[in-house]
Amino acid sequence: MLFFSYFKDLVGQEVTVELKNDLAIRGTLHSVDQYLNIKLENTRVVDQDKYPHMLSVRNCFIRGSVVRYVQLPPDGVDVDLLHDAARREARGG
Amino acid sequence: MVVGLREFTLRTGDGSGKPILDEPNGEELMHVQSSVAVALGNRPLESPGTLYITSRKLIWLSDVDMAKGYAVDFLSISLHAVSRDPEAYSSPCIYTQIDVEEDEDEDESDTESTGVLDLPKIREMRLVPSDSSQLDTLFDIFCECAELNPEPIEEEEEGGHNWVFSADQMDVRGGGEEDAEWQISQSPTSVIGHSNGEEGLAQPMLELQISDQRFEDAEEMVHDQK
Repeated sequence: MLFFSYFKDLVGQEVTVELKNDLAIRGTLHSVDQYLNIKLENTRVVDQDKYPHMLSVRNCFIRGSVVRYVQLPPDGVDVDLLHDAARREARGG
Repeated sequence: MVVGLREFTLRTGDGSGKPILDEPNGEELMHVQSSVAVALGNRPLESPGTLYITSRKLIWLSDVDMAKGYAVDFLSISLHAVSRDPEAYSSPCIYTQIDVEEDEDEDESDTESTGVLDLPKIREMRLVPSDSSQLDTLFDIFCECAELNPEPIEEEEEGGHNWVFSADQMDVRGGGEEDAEWQISQSPTSVIGHSNGEEGLAQPMLELQISDQRFEDAEEMVHDQK
């Protein structure tokens, strides 16, 4: 549940979601659920030359299981808080 | 589990042409959208049919050809979106990407050159309702149904389990919660001493503590205890 809470804090920020099929979509994080399904708004495909057919869509829903990486805004990470939360999670508390 | 798009021809025999669902196993019909055309991959739109959205999958059935229909599980739908940009696609539609079994030997061009429609290899599907004001509603229903279908639990989980198990063990040995730092510093001796498969996993993390200034103190304490 750590990452669920963590991503919830990032709602409203600009992120890039990289899928396991190499497609990368940039957009505003609209919402995330417990399965790490991600909804993005104001999306655009990062590598448009490679995916010319791909959506110039406004919003999309991405299945959590197909996400490889989520690139965060540099100032969107509270390192101390994350460190602390990760440690608590590892202790099983 | 069948991955990707597949043919679907199971219709009720009562003339309504509705799909037969796996109701004994809890499959429910969530939404029916009539007058929907479908485009698979780069292929042209297929004549209007009806879209049935169930708690498990999408089913598109042709209104004209009773033997024609497709289905895809929500588990196989990687992404869905509303597409309204005429440059991206001529008609406003729900765009979906479908997860397919990776097959390194064949690329998509093979499928197209032979002209044979290989359903499990279709990676994209567009659903074009004649009433485009329904797109946002459909999008929301797709979201809802995707959330009803989380990934089945896989063995992958077990790796994580072992790791947590080791951490729990350390806590049990130590006792007081306030002294968690101490327990980590002290336990290398015991872990290395009784190394078996599972405990070994904890070593890399514990070794990180060696340069810690507290290590010296811990060492002394261990000696004292002996």
